[in-house]
Amino acid sequence: MNPLILTILLFALGLGTTITFMSSHWLFAWMGLEINTLAIIPLMTQHHHPRSTEAGTKYFLAQATAAAMLLFASVTNAWLTGQWDILQMSHPLPTTMITLALALKIGLAPLHSWLPEVLQGLDLTTGLILSTWQKLAPFALLLQINPTNPTVLIMLGITSTLVGGWGGLNQTQLRKILAYSSIAHLGWMALILPFYPSLTLLALLTYLIMTLSTFLVFKLNKATNINTLAISWSKTPIITTLTPLLLLSLGGLPPLTGFMPKWFILQELTKQNLPLLATFTALTALLSLYFYLRLSYSMTLTMFPNNLMGTTPWRFFTQSTSLPLALSISMAIALLPLAPAMMALLTP
Amino acid sequence: MTPTHFAFSSAFMLGLMGLAFHRQHLLSALLCLEGMMLSLFIALSLWTLQLDSTSFSASPMLLLAFSACEASAGLALLVATTRTHGSDQLQNLNLLQC
Repeated sequence: MNPLILTILLFALGLGTTITFMSSHWLFAWMGLEINTLAIIPLMTQHHHPRSTEAGTKYFLAQATAAAMLLFASVTNAWLTGQWDILQMSHPLPTTMITLALALKIGLAPLHSWLPEVLQGLDLTTGLILSTWQKLAPFALLLQINPTNPTVLIMLGITSTLVGGWGGLNQTQLRKILAYSSIAHLGWMALILPFYPSLTLLALLTYLIMTLSTFLVFKLNKATNINTLAISWSKTPIITTLTPLLLLSLGGLPPLTGFMPKWFILQELTKQNLPLLATFTALTALLSLYFYLRLSYSMTLTMFPNNLMGTTPWRFFTQSTSLPLALSISMAIALLPLAPAMMALLTP
Repeated sequence: MTPTHFAFSSAFMLGLMGLAFHRQHLLSALLCLEGMMLSLFIALSLWTLQLDSTSFSASPMLLLAFSACEASAGLALLVATTRTHGSDQLQNLNLLQC
């Protein structure tokens, strides 16, 4: 792609999210979301391949529907209450419609089915943008409407954690696994949103860091399915030893970063007198943990048969820049001791 | 609920139901999206007219501009899918499911 056009598209991508962040009026929030969608579609379809074109079409249909529903709900809100402000949503009907529209936009179950297919059709860089940067603007809106009815978000959250764990079980394609992992993480965030929005921010932050480093690792190995991961020990041995920690951090095991949001969310749910919900969510996390474990098993605990020349590529000097990977992977593994500082930062 | 509110709400809902349940051609999906956007345009215009607010009078045009951009992106994707998949039938978009 022409670098000028690429610069313009990336700038528009940043602009859309920034407009949504700064807006207090629903029309401008909608415009930011539209700019975001329109800017990423050329990035998705830049390889003239049937799969990427199909992914772009599916993404376009889902996002355009969600954006139209969002604007319809805010127009309805304006006709019912005379209010265009994002923070002043009071009528339950438009609030629920906006919640559902944003759920379709970020891919919460049961409105998730576009996400694995779209992510499967993209290359890893665009997939990284789709599963990190594109989630920010809808989450900024979701945090600003005060939920009058927590049942919708709880149902969305619990379905997402279940579907995200269940759907990923039988996958061999890494991008689909990452899509289901994204659905499961977003489910945790939606679940805690009506009770303690700061925890949603914390979970979003750790999700961004962990997903960023996972995508960077897969991009470094040029891996799109599990088999390709199994030969990464001969290319990048150190990163291959670190990646299981990263994957278990995504799964949420104790000494790693990913444990922090799950810990706080379960604690908060118990405090809110919802122990059944907390137990069920913790059990659905086990489903996700299964496929993370399978990934790390085939990556580090199996050794593919290889001839002598095949075991040496790690000695070659590579040109790939690894500073972002180093920073993000160390944050994705060892951020748990900073939990009090992060909570103090994110609590208003 | 005023009659105008009912009118554009039902127009939008018809468009949304067409988009959700009539899944044969990509072109009909794009037409449904365009119908939804036009009902939103009517809603915003009537809102502006009813309140006589000059500060709000640019918003229907902004909406129309954005929906035109969206429709053109949709038509570009329609051309691209027709060239890669052979037709604009939505059932041909099945390469990514597994």
